[in-house]
Amino acid sequence: MAQYLPVVVLAVLATLFAALSFVASKLLAPRNPTVEKFAPYECGIIPGREPPERFPVRFYLVAMLFVIFDIEIVFLYPWAVAHQGLGLFGLLAVLLFSALVFESFIYLIAQGALDWGPLQVSRRQNPARSASRTADSTIRRVGLDGRLSEAVEDDTELSVSSSDEVTKEKVPV
Amino acid sequence: MQDPKQDFLESNSSLDLGDVLLASGKGVVAFVVLLVSVMLMVWFERKVVSRLQNRIGPNIAGPFGLLQTLADGTKLFFKEDIIPTRSDRFVFQLAPYLSLVPAFLTFAVVPIAGDFSSGDGRVEMFGRQTFIQVADVPIGILFFLGMSSLGIYGIMLAGWSSGSKYPLLGSVRASAQAISYEAALGLSLAAVLLVSESLRTTDIVARQAGEGFFGIVPNWNVLVTGVIPFVVFLIAGTAELNRPPFDLVEAEQELVGGFHTEYSSIRFALFFLAEFMNTVTMGAIIVTLFFGGPSGPNFGILPGWLWGFVWFFSKLIVLLFTFVWFRGTLPRLRYDQLMNLGWKILIPVSLAWLLILGGIRVAQQPDAINLTSSAQANTYIVLGIAGVIFCFCTLLLLAAVSTARRERLKTEGLVAVPMEVE
Repeated sequence: MAQYLPVVVLAVLATLFAALSFVASKLLAPRNPTVEKFAPYECGIIPGREPPERFPVRFYLVAMLFVIFDIEIVFLYPWAVAHQGLGLFGLLAVLLFSALVFESFIYLIAQGALDWGPLQVSRRQNPARSASRTADSTIRRVGLDGRLSEAVEDDTELSVSSSDEVTKEKVPV
Repeated sequence: MQDPKQDFLESNSSLDLGDVLLASGKGVVAFVVLLVSVMLMVWFERKVVSRLQNRIGPNIAGPFGLLQTLADGTKLFFKEDIIPTRSDRFVFQLAPYLSLVPAFLTFAVVPIAGDFSSGDGRVEMFGRQTFIQVADVPIGILFFLGMSSLGIYGIMLAGWSSGSKYPLLGSVRASAQAISYEAALGLSLAAVLLVSESLRTTDIVARQAGEGFFGIVPNWNVLVTGVIPFVVFLIAGTAELNRPPFDLVEAEQELVGGFHTEYSSIRFALFFLAEFMNTVTMGAIIVTLFFGGPSGPNFGILPGWLWGFVWFFSKLIVLLFTFVWFRGTLPRLRYDQLMNLGWKILIPVSLAWLLILGGIRVAQQPDAINLTSSAQANTYIVLGIAGVIFCFCTLLLLAAVSTARRERLKTEGLVAVPMEVE
């Protein structure tokens, strides 16, 4: 195992380097914690929602597809290294195997498993271009959620005292 | 090429003082070289990008601003270290290690110097013959793939443990992107293995030493494997590094800083270090696999092994410049473009190219395929069959894509009409 010894040395050095950096940072860095500083980053707004715990199933699909292709690679590497000795038999075996994987890959694509992003439609069919869409129907006025509590209180007072139009114009400021 | 039996005997021989000295010497030297190279790489990237954008770039700290990275790094030691209250403290603190250590280790399989044109690339150190490489392991390529996959854990866990939404989204993107391009990376690499018939990096370099076609063109794998594996590897490698134009992981307009949004002070510095170290290593791996690594002609004056380093370094600089050039030139991809490029173009192309290359090599073998009496005619017949199959598969793929599109149109209540050219 003598060949692997330098790798171990390098790994130990890298870990030590990281650990010592932390120690140095602990000794040198100032420490004045505040609640705001230690809150999750959200451009100064108090986070309204927890970070999502579930993800689109597409990500898992990609992971499963990756496993299939990785297994194919696992079979291809030994063949690539030893293909001179295996000759025609090895080539045909690999071709058969790749054809099977490719066939299922085609099926997956046809099923739309690897479709991401918006559907590409023709200009005429694009719903975003219909005449019913005007500036009034598409622009939504931003609400008060996510603002600091004081700002919300201020705005509620305003909305009680004045008309709707005035409130809407004042809120964004 | 080394005999597997000899490998086995070597690997089971007991350790003595020379081995330990050699190992620690190599480890320490590699450690220092890597840190210095990262420092220079950060400076190089900033300087080149500034020039591409008509700016001057860092020029205050040290000559030509060379010490700017050192100044920035030192500054980070004096910054407050923040561990957010909602984070998973243990994993949050572990993630920088998981990112940094594999970044160091990947470099272990790259031969950085040595005389491959007149010798076998070995030099004598502490009384034994050895390659100028941290670890000459028989599974070098698998080691590289393994370590580059391990680096993803650092990014994934960093984002997950932050307890904040932008890092989480960044890390999910990072892992999806990494595994999507890992397959293309592995398949294009198999073409190199096909022509060098070894997983050992020094064998791959030794095979590329010497002259190729017509006695002037170098015998590099980039030409021997037919350019396409190199192009796929370069694109997939850039995506693996999360470098522009594939830096969706830290797309600042959408995700603030991506997976390291919540990291500050030295923890951030370690992620930054790992990222640039990975860039240098990826450049070095591409040089080793496709551009002959340290092999090149000797012009005297310097000792042979030093010429190896000169060649390796000049090739590496060109590759690293290419990475920076990409960053300065190309706009970032959209997420669906990224996935389409990876799955529907790079993977099928690299797989098809590998199989065609394998077919040609088997056909050139005497007595492997006896279609006709001459090996050359065999090769042409195989090429013809491969071409037909390739066209058929391309049509299948296109048909599959259009089927998927038609299905989606149907579910949205639209009729399929051909796209207009705008």
